Amino acid sequence: MGIKGLNAIISEHAPSAVRRLEIKHFFGRKVAIDASMSLYQFLIAVRQQDGVQLASESGETTSHLMGIFYRTLRMIDNGIKPCYVFDGKPPILKSHELDKRSARRATTEEKLKEAVEEAEKQKHERRLVRVTPEHNEEAKKLLRLMGLPYVNAPGEAEAQCAELAKAGKVYAAASEDMDTLCYRTPYLLRHLTFSEAKKEPIHEINVEVMLEGLDLTIEQLIDLGIMLGCDYCESIRGVGPVTALKLIKEHKTLENIVTYIESGDANNKWKIPENWPYQEARDLFLKPDVLKGSEIDLKWTEPLEQELIDYMCKEKGFNEERIRSGIKRLQKGLKTGVQGRLDGFFKLKPKTKEQLAVANAKAKSDQGKTKTKGKIGKVGRPKK
Amino acid sequence: MLEGIFEEASLFKKIIDSFKDCVQLVNFNCNEHGIAAQAVDDSRVLLVSLSIGTESFQEFRCDRGVTLGVDLSSLSKILRCGNNNDNLTLIADDTPDSVLLLFEDTKKDRISEYSLKLMDIDADFLDIDGMEYDTTITMPSAEFAKVVRDLNQLSDSLNILVTKDTVKFVAEGDIGSGSVIVKPHTDMDKPQESVKVELDKPVDLTFGSKYLLDIIKGAGLAEQITIKLSSETPALFEFSLQSGYLQFFLAPKFNEEE
Repeated sequence: MGIKGLNAIISEHAPSAVRRLEIKHFFGRKVAIDASMSLYQFLIAVRQQDGVQLASESGETTSHLMGIFYRTLRMIDNGIKPCYVFDGKPPILKSHELDKRSARRATTEEKLKEAVEEAEKQKHERRLVRVTPEHNEEAKKLLRLMGLPYVNAPGEAEAQCAELAKAGKVYAAASEDMDTLCYRTPYLLRHLTFSEAKKEPIHEINVEVMLEGLDLTIEQLIDLGIMLGCDYCESIRGVGPVTALKLIKEHKTLENIVTYIESGDANNKWKIPENWPYQEARDLFLKPDVLKGSEIDLKWTEPLEQELIDYMCKEKGFNEERIRSGIKRLQKGLKTGVQGRLDGFFKLKPKTKEQLAVANAKAKSDQGKTKTKGKIGKVGRPKK
Repeated sequence: MLEGIFEEASLFKKIIDSFKDCVQLVNFNCNEHGIAAQAVDDSRVLLVSLSIGTESFQEFRCDRGVTLGVDLSSLSKILRCGNNNDNLTLIADDTPDSVLLLFEDTKKDRISEYSLKLMDIDADFLDIDGMEYDTTITMPSAEFAKVVRDLNQLSDSLNILVTKDTVKFVAEGDIGSGSVIVKPHTDMDKPQESVKVELDKPVDLTFGSKYLLDIIKGAGLAEQITIKLSSETPALFEFSLQSGYLQFFLAPKFNEEE
C-alpha cells in the first residue's frame, strides 16, 4: 500500500528526481503497468453519476473493463505501448498485512449494515471494493482480445514491473505504489492511468537521481521504507519520516539502528516490534520473486475485432459503436509503426554537480508556487 | 553585455517562426561567436539546433557568455510588433532578468522598445556532434516543402528512398498512394534550383509527416535544404543562414518491433 511519507521526503530532499510531465512526453515508450492496482482504481473511480458501479444486464460489475479499455486507448492514442502485470501469490511475510486488511473489511461490513444514510453506505461500500480473481481473468481476456501483452507475475506485480524496466523491456514501471522504487526500477510513473479529466500530470521519478539526492544506497532506501512501514512488516512505533531519514543517515543500516534503540541511548518511546522480520523484508525487495525480464517477450498485435465485439457488447453490454471506434484507434496506434525517439541516439550531455545543486535548490524554493500555478508540462520558471 | 543588431527584423522573425511551433521554451546561449540554441520537442522526436553567426548581424558584440531563457510564443508576439524592414537590436546585460528588443525605423525616425522577461529553463542538452551519414541530398527547399505538403494529404508517414540516381518520396494511405521522384541535375543559370545527391549507401527511411511539416517551416530561410540520412538513425535537415544554420534532427519511424 505504499510507503508512508516517502513522497514528502523525496520532494524535500531530491526534488529534481520528480518531473511532472504531460502524457505526450511518453510518446513511443513502452511501460509496464501494475494491473491489480489499476483495476482497483477503476473499480473505485469508474462509476455512474449516482456513484453506482457500472454493470452489465446480468448485474456483473464492468467498471474494471471500462477502465482498462478506455484508459489503455488513451495511452495508445498518445503512442504509449502498455503491458499489464498481474499479481501472483503474495509473499508469506505479507500475510500479516493481509490479515489486518481482512479484519478491517469485516468491521467495514458491519458498519455498512448499520449505515442508514445513502452517502454513508456508499463510503463503506467503496472501502469494501476488492479485485477478485474473476475481475483479473476478465481483464486478461479483454487485454488478449485487444492484442496487448500481459505478464503473470509469480509474486508481487510491482516487483515484476521493475524487473521488466531493469531488463530494458519497457521504459518504466507504472504504479501508484511507492514500494516500486525499492525494487530499483529505473523510472516510476505515477498517475499514468488517471483519467484525462483529472488533468493530473504524470509524475516521473528517476530512481538514480533520487538516490543521489537523498544520498542513500538502494539498501538504505529499502531500510528507510521498512521503517516508514511497508506491506511486509510493521514500522517502528514513534519514528516518523524525518526521524527515519536521520536515523538511516547516521547509522547506515537497520541492524545498527536496532542496536542503537535497544541500547537504551535513544528516545525510549521508540518501540521495535517483537520478532521484527526486517531482514526478510529487505531480502524480498532485493531479491523479489520475479520472472527474468530477459526471458519475457512482449508483443503487441492486431486486436481481434469480432471476438472483442462479441465479448464487450454481447456479453458485457457495452455500446457496439463505441467499441468499434475504440478498435479503430487500436489499429491505428499499431499500424503507424513505432516512432523512434532521439534519446536512444544522442547522449545527454551530463549536467555538472553545480548545475544539479542549483536545479535542486530552485526546484525546492519553487515548490509552493508551482503547485498553485500548476501549468503542466512546463519546466521553465519565470525569473522574479 | 550582449548587443546584436539585425539589419532587418524580418530575418530574426523568420528564424524564430520556423521553429516556434515545435518547441516552446528555449535557452539562447550567446557568446562572442554569436547566438546558439538547442531544444527538443515534448515527444522527444524532433530536435532543433540553431546557430546565428556574427556575420548574420550588422553589428554584434557579446564579451561574456549569457544564457537567455525564452518562451518562444511570447518572443514571437513581440516580434510581430516590429516591421520587417526595421533594424532590430537585442540587448541584455551580463546577468539578465529580461532582454530588450529595439525596433528602429531609420527613415521615419521611429523607435519602439520592448522588454521580454526571461525564464529559468531546466532543459537537457543532447550531444549531437559527430554523426556520420550515408547519404546527403541537397535540393531547393521550396520543392521539398511542396513534396512534404502534398504527400501529407495521403498519409501521416512519409517514406524516403534514396538510390544511386533517384530520390523517391512515397506515401501510402487509406485513400490511395502517391510518390514523387526527384533526380539529381545541375541548373547552370540558377544553381539554387539544382538537386545533388551524394550516396555512400542506399537508404530507406520513414518519418512522421507531422514533424516534416514542422521542419518545412524553415524553408523561407534558405533557397536550398540539405538532408543527411543514414539507416535507422535520426536524419538531419539543414537550412543554411548567411552565417550559421538552422538544423532539425528527426528520429525515424520503425516498421517492425526491434
